[in-house]
Amino acid sequence: MSVASAVAEQVLNGLVVGMVYVLLAAGLSIIFGVMDVINFAHGELFALGAYFAFAIAGPLGGAGFWVALVVAPLLVGVVGMGIERLTVKRLYGRDPLYHILLTFGLVLIINDLITSVWGKSAQPFPVPSVLDQPVALFGFNYSLYNYGIIVFGSALALGTWLLLNRTRFGMIIRAGSEDREMVRTLGINIDRYYTLTFGFGAALAGVAGIVLGAYQNVSPTMGSSVIIPAFVIVVLGGLGSFRGAVVGGLFVGLVQTFARTYTPFLEGLIVFLLMIAVLVVKPTGLFGTSVGAGDHHDGALLHGSGGGVLSAETRAKLGYAGVGALLIVPLLAEVTGVTYSVTLLEDILIWALFALSLDLVLGYAGLVSLGHTLFYGVGAYASVLTLMHVSPSVFVALVVAVAVCAAIAWGVGYLSIRVSGVFFAMITLGFAELFYNAVFKFDFTGGSDGLFGVDAFYGLAGLGIDPGEFTVPLGPFVLDGGVVQYYFLLAVVVGSYLLARRLIRAPFGSVLQSIRESEERASFIGYDVTAYKRRAFVVSGGLAGLAGGLFAANNGYVAPSFLHWINSGEVIVMTVLGGMGTLYGPMLGAGVFVAAEDVLSSYIDQWQLVIGVLFVLFVIFVPRGLVSLPQTVADHPIFESAVGDRVGEQAGVTDPEVDRHE
Amino acid sequence: MSDPILRTENLTKEFGKLVAVDDVTLDVERGEFRSLIGPNGAGKTTTFNLLTGALRPTRGTVTFNGENVTALPPHERVRRGLGRSFQITNVFSGLTVRENVRLAAQAAREGGFTPVEEYLRRSDAFNDVNEHTDRVLDRSGLLGRGDEPADVLAYGDKRRLEIAIVLATDPDMVLLDEPTAGMSAEETRATMDLIDEVLSDRTLLLIEHDIDLVMRVSDRITVLHRGEVLAEGTPEAVSEDPEVREAYFGGVEA
Repeated sequence: MSVASAVAEQVLNGLVVGMVYVLLAAGLSIIFGVMDVINFAHGELFALGAYFAFAIAGPLGGAGFWVALVVAPLLVGVVGMGIERLTVKRLYGRDPLYHILLTFGLVLIINDLITSVWGKSAQPFPVPSVLDQPVALFGFNYSLYNYGIIVFGSALALGTWLLLNRTRFGMIIRAGSEDREMVRTLGINIDRYYTLTFGFGAALAGVAGIVLGAYQNVSPTMGSSVIIPAFVIVVLGGLGSFRGAVVGGLFVGLVQTFARTYTPFLEGLIVFLLMIAVLVVKPTGLFGTSVGAGDHHDGALLHGSGGGVLSAETRAKLGYAGVGALLIVPLLAEVTGVTYSVTLLEDILIWALFALSLDLVLGYAGLVSLGHTLFYGVGAYASVLTLMHVSPSVFVALVVAVAVCAAIAWGVGYLSIRVSGVFFAMITLGFAELFYNAVFKFDFTGGSDGLFGVDAFYGLAGLGIDPGEFTVPLGPFVLDGGVVQYYFLLAVVVGSYLLARRLIRAPFGSVLQSIRESEERASFIGYDVTAYKRRAFVVSGGLAGLAGGLFAANNGYVAPSFLHWINSGEVIVMTVLGGMGTLYGPMLGAGVFVAAEDVLSSYIDQWQLVIGVLFVLFVIFVPRGLVSLPQTVADHPIFESAVGDRVGEQAGVTDPEVDRHE
Repeated sequence: MSDPILRTENLTKEFGKLVAVDDVTLDVERGEFRSLIGPNGAGKTTTFNLLTGALRPTRGTVTFNGENVTALPPHERVRRGLGRSFQITNVFSGLTVRENVRLAAQAAREGGFTPVEEYLRRSDAFNDVNEHTDRVLDRSGLLGRGDEPADVLAYGDKRRLEIAIVLATDPDMVLLDEPTAGMSAEETRATMDLIDEVLSDRTLLLIEHDIDLVMRVSDRITVLHRGEVLAEGTPEAVSEDPEVREAYFGGVEA
């Protein structure tokens, strides 16, 4: 094959993938533009489209593909409308964060449903025989199906553009994205249009799923593998911009394809580098019109509050009791032989620290970091690399982990905190994905295997404890090095909590709280809001790095999965589950989440589904988290009317007298 | 003779082809109560935003206390003594009244904080800040309400808190953005009395479209029209200026 035809083939391959991205990103972008909803479940709707088509086409044989191509997207559209009606709708008016959380829960649910119906492994989804042949055009052979994708995708994109710009439906949803109250005032039932828009975006994702499913195969991971690139495209092109989605989709498709062939090292990195570069130069994306998208949302983040439920003293006592219980667990475990509980608690402690770190930025500085696992993972790598190459001391490893992560947080914060809201979320996600993809590429990070077999020494300069050789006989039992690790971990986590609490109660923390209340006001009493947020981000990054470093040092390994975005999602879930803006709430949330995951996964196969459903219910009904649960129940209209005026009148007032009555 | 605390020279702000503020040169004398008035669209709000630092001018300079502050962001201007109040009360509603004022006092603390103080000491452990907070609460009539959450305050008290926060930053000059917008005559009077009571020893610049109010309280008035300064002088002089009468009362009311 000549060079020219090789390049032409790459261009065509790029356009094929690009078309799939265009369809995905268009739906995502329309949903965001109209409803301010960041739909993480879009990838799963995409996968659902592929599986529906797979299920329809199989039994029907020859013409099945064509039936599926029409019916499956409609089904996905119906699913989308159902999701909007039942869940998304309840969160309009809240901060976009809650949509991220909600749709993250939906990802777990849909993905688990897919695997339970169609199994975990990838399955072939044959292209119809009519299209499954090469054609010779411009002097070389190329798959007719692929030409078909390009033509069909272009037609759909054009149709969508016409729908948005040339019809009444399009006019109303465009007007609604500008000012939904105004449209409502004009007597238009905008809610109905929201449902339709969500369904339409879902159907587009469904089409994209079918097209790609037949191009490659259908697999339960196909959703999670496209969702991040799709977000990158939407951000790159400009949030809410249809033109941006089209140009961005084709561009990313082409860039990815060329990178794979000509610069394999950059494959997986280049897209994120591009996104970061574009956002740094033009924060609104290539075709974005205003930064407003992230700023004008009317809802606030809902913080947890311990007040009104338990008095500060009660909470302090519970805290001491909790730490006390954690102190005796290893001894009990040794006596009862349930050593497994110690491993679980170690996991919980690490995640609690990670969630605590996130709370400093999410709960106090109002920064939605979607890529917080960047710090967790980098901390883990830094810690293991230090243990391998610099010093066997766990202290040195952790100091390095914290320092490296704090430095990266400073850099990321410097680039991204100027741009607010959704853009900050996307940039942090972009950086996390960049590092995730990067660790596969280098030898010193161990590539896809990671690094393992590292032993940590709990001391400095030869003075200290080597867990491998540590034994303390205790009657009939023997305490081993695991105990040292456990108590060290417990001490670090408790110490970090106390430090974080101190920071929050100091002048620094009081400024963060004022920023969370009103950024504008804080800057007009003389605070450099951006600088304070950046400092909070640095502290947070350092603590997350400490969590990752601890895990790696304790378990003696690190792997690329430490940097996977699912961790970022989970830690946000824990933080909100517990009640953000309270420090102890997210730690509690981590405990409940990790324990629930552990228990559920050992008894049922569909544990993700259960967690997903619970989480969706939580986001909708208990957004202030577990720590505020009693208050939330007390404030509920049903409960309030039952109990009468006594509680109702006092709701929200943190008067110790009232606490006792409740 | 002249000691302007705030001076703008050829201040101009263009939004695309629209010239919102056109070559405005202004001197506000130390200690005076100046008002900036003009009909809707005269460029009042844009001028206000150029003075606070919320917007950067296309051309021209803003000088405050003899220092060119044109390129400084809002918080830097506040730190130099240029405070502002908000049209819609903008307090930290989830915090207590005392904490609202304390935060402003903390920002204005003489000499700032050492890193240990800033990050590790309790924010309520600084006696000088606490005393300053108490003085401001006392002066604005909120001393008894310090422990109440700001969001349960009645409207009038919220207004009081708004002014108290400004006062706590210890400004040399306060920019007031239509502080009585949407108020009844009685509320308007109460608010202006409060400003007079609490901020009378500071230089004030009031942005306002209510001409009667402005006539009553100002030492001097600057009239903006279509982004330009149309007239400037005492209330009497301005009210008799034929050009002002034409611009302000022109059309139907003339």
